[in-house]
Amino acid sequence: MKVALRDNQDFWSGVMLVAIGAAALIIGRNYPFGTSLRMGPGYFPAVLSSVLCVFGLILMAKSFRSTDRVEAGWSLRGLIIIPLSVVLFGVMMTHAGFVPALVVLIFGSALASDEFKLVEVTLLTIGLTLGCVAVFIWGLGLPYPLLAEF
Amino acid sequence: MSRLRSITIQAAGLLIALTTSVAAQDYPNRPVRLIIPFPPGGSNDVVGRMIGTQLSEQLGKQVIVDNRAGAGGVVGTEIVSKAPPDGYTLGVISLAHAVNPWLYKLPYDPIKGFAAIGIMGTGPNVLVVHPSLPVRTTQELIALAKAKPGDLQYASAGIGSFQHLGSELFKLTAKADILHVPFKGGGPAMTDVLGGHTKIMFSSLVQTTPHIKSGKLLALGTGGSKRSTVLPDIPTISEGLPGYTAENWWGIVAPAGTPPAIIKRLHAALSAAQDTEAVTKQFSSEGASVVKMSSEEFGKYMVSEMNKWERVVKEGGIKAE
Amino acid sequence: MDLLNNLLFGFGVAFSLQNLAYCFIGVLVGTLIGVLPGIGPLATIAMLLPLTFNVEPVGALIMLAGIYYGAQYGGSTTAILVNLPGETAAVVTCIDGYQMARQGRAGPALAIAAFGSFFAGTVGTLLIALAGPPLAEVALKFGAPEYFSLMLMGLVAAAVLAQGDTIKSLSMVVMGLLFGIVGSDVNTGMHRFTFDIFELSDGIGFIVIAVGVFAVGEIVTNLGQPERREIFTAKVSNLMPTREDLKASAWPIVRGTALGSFFGVLPGTGPAIASFSSYMLEKKLAKDPSRFGKGAIEGVAGPEAANNADAQTKFIPMLTLGLPASGVMALMLGALTIQGIQPGPQVMTQRPELFWGLIASMWIGNAMLVILNLPLIGLWVKLLQVPYRLLFPAIMAFSAIGIYSVSNSSFEIYLTAGFGIAGFLWLKLGFSAAPLLLGFVLGPMMEENLRRAMLMSKGDPSVFVTRPISLAFIIATVLILVVMIAPAVRKKKDALAE
Repeated sequence: MKVALRDNQDFWSGVMLVAIGAAALIIGRNYPFGTSLRMGPGYFPAVLSSVLCVFGLILMAKSFRSTDRVEAGWSLRGLIIIPLSVVLFGVMMTHAGFVPALVVLIFGSALASDEFKLVEVTLLTIGLTLGCVAVFIWGLGLPYPLLAEF
Repeated sequence: MSRLRSITIQAAGLLIALTTSVAAQDYPNRPVRLIIPFPPGGSNDVVGRMIGTQLSEQLGKQVIVDNRAGAGGVVGTEIVSKAPPDGYTLGVISLAHAVNPWLYKLPYDPIKGFAAIGIMGTGPNVLVVHPSLPVRTTQELIALAKAKPGDLQYASAGIGSFQHLGSELFKLTAKADILHVPFKGGGPAMTDVLGGHTKIMFSSLVQTTPHIKSGKLLALGTGGSKRSTVLPDIPTISEGLPGYTAENWWGIVAPAGTPPAIIKRLHAALSAAQDTEAVTKQFSSEGASVVKMSSEEFGKYMVSEMNKWERVVKEGGIKAE
Repeated sequence: MDLLNNLLFGFGVAFSLQNLAYCFIGVLVGTLIGVLPGIGPLATIAMLLPLTFNVEPVGALIMLAGIYYGAQYGGSTTAILVNLPGETAAVVTCIDGYQMARQGRAGPALAIAAFGSFFAGTVGTLLIALAGPPLAEVALKFGAPEYFSLMLMGLVAAAVLAQGDTIKSLSMVVMGLLFGIVGSDVNTGMHRFTFDIFELSDGIGFIVIAVGVFAVGEIVTNLGQPERREIFTAKVSNLMPTREDLKASAWPIVRGTALGSFFGVLPGTGPAIASFSSYMLEKKLAKDPSRFGKGAIEGVAGPEAANNADAQTKFIPMLTLGLPASGVMALMLGALTIQGIQPGPQVMTQRPELFWGLIASMWIGNAMLVILNLPLIGLWVKLLQVPYRLLFPAIMAFSAIGIYSVSNSSFEIYLTAGFGIAGFLWLKLGFSAAPLLLGFVLGPMMEENLRRAMLMSKGDPSVFVTRPISLAFIIATVLILVVMIAPAVRKKKDALAE
């Protein structure tokens, strides 16, 4: 059975590959190419991105006969909140210290679950943060301030 | 009006002087961060940690070593230059600091961005060849290179590394043409030379000494102005090629604007750390020697090193980025 | 017999109460940091090094070595349990180990990893004792052409990793090769794909991609599909491998050990190559390759053995030649020189207590690891019964701290978030991540060695076939290609005939 392009797995795969390959080709267009015997820094990137584009085009061509659907079950909530709390962790590590960064990360990522329960997650955050401080800071001696001083 | 203003300025100046001297008096009252802009295991790391441990004792507060590697030391050094100038963030710098300005567009001023504290020590390079190469002295190597321009090959730890620059300085001084084969780090380069694939290397003394002693590599000369205490039988390179010296060095800096009183305190602590037996012993086992300079002397040394290597980078046509 | 006497002497040294204690501390700390991603033996040994200055050399070395191979050992635990590779080489264990855990077979997976590692550790230790110096001499024969031909063979064999769609797998390999290029070019120093970001000039960290794609990507996927989360708690079968499991794993363990020992001796091969090779070999040899990626026990047994053998035999170039094959080995060399010992072949004769004591302690350490870990399996499996909504924030916390600790920089954290999103999208589009990581590992080495070989030969490509070791790999590559293409051609013919 044919699958509409909108949720055709091969079609979108092909699009992604062509996009990445083309982007790499454009970014790397000024790297010296050299010759096949004396390869410059641009040789490998150019060859690889072209191959990626070709693979992408093949997949797109195949998609017209393909039956692979993109699997259902997208958690937009997870897709946004999880990376976001990771990024926030990074920001807090440099500006606020180990404890606030962990609290934000643990509490934040727990928010991504549809089974979120406030009391439970608060307890989890406290317990895990304490555990991490004990293991990483006191135990392994990682050089991070618990709370950054300004 | 103008008088009032000048009084205000004077008062403000006095206030700043007071607060900084107060800050300097009870400095340090919390742990000090020592940034090493290279990954664990290299010479910067070994030397920096060694001194860091001793500084903790001297300052009475813990000195925490923080490895921030990347881009030949630029990533970590940038963090130092942008840190608050309160004496609680210090950085280890080395020869790379004097070379990077000529290789990269730096996000900081290599001289004005920092307050020099002091130099920790220096370590010469050593010129080694694989025994299959038919040369036994520096002069013979130069003669061979001149007879076959571009045929001989030397290994380095990568573009802009100490090994690379020491070799390019050699080529410039001797006017010889030797092909550069870069590797990702000193270990892989040394492995290749031991296997006899590339046959020449200007390497750090500590990495090479075991292979010289076991006879797997031949040392033609060391790069210091005097013979090395680790290998007293090996002549200096300058005995065969006058004018050649190439030494790596390691020092400590603080961000520019750090109060002079704190710099003084740190310099005194560094000096005391250098006198401990632990440090002198470990330096000599690393093939390096403890060197002392005042903070001002070290600042001038940084400038002179920058000038020395600018010529090598430019005339040798070394490029990164 | 000399060897026996030497080993007995070594065990005498290692069995002193003090050295046993150092060994135990080492493997314990190693297991702990191995379980945690990012925080690896390199950073730990660097931190502990100053403490060892006052310890006698044998004890110091025994402890540091214990940390190193203990970490390799612990790395597989979280890989199997929650798809979080604790160490670089554990990435391969994620593929089938995690699937086994999802089927309620975490116990057997952990146990077979322990058995495989112990066997490999024993063989690796014996190999160092028996043939260390001659093996190291062989390793020195590898120059740029040899490494390139070896990598080429690996890349061609990578097609075996193909899961379902060959084109998709190959494009993941190519994408991995492209990601591997990011950073400054070894040959010219030119910065490629770094967008003028200095943090990217040394390339993307392997663990960043691995944790992003495997751990974070998996969590995002699971959050979208409630039914995926329940599997863990559904049924936990036996804790120990069955007789069939053991039978299926025996040869993979032996072959993995052989591959791991080979790659361990070569200083120019990075981590994970041994375990990848073992995985590809097992998949190729399996009667039903389609089981791989769906919880095949051979896919855990072989790579785990390979990984541990690699870790043990990495000591050969270090102990016999004084050559550091990795950052960790460089630190151990540093520890030796600071103690006033010149590494090299003379260590065996001048400081026999050091050489043989260390070797004996490695075997004891491996035994300790098994004894330490087997009873823990029950505990680990219980951990999986924790509701998923509480488990995944913990995985996130450990991943984030681990990544941050690699270079103490937030930049890598941001990258991980990005690769988490990418990992989710790839999974949705039917791409598997393992070929990407293989390409990422092989790519830089391939390019570097190819261009170096051409530089040294002045542009003459015949170096690859005039040097015997390189030629052997080229021939093997051609053979692999023939073996792989032949069945496909036959299938086409059959299809036409029908």
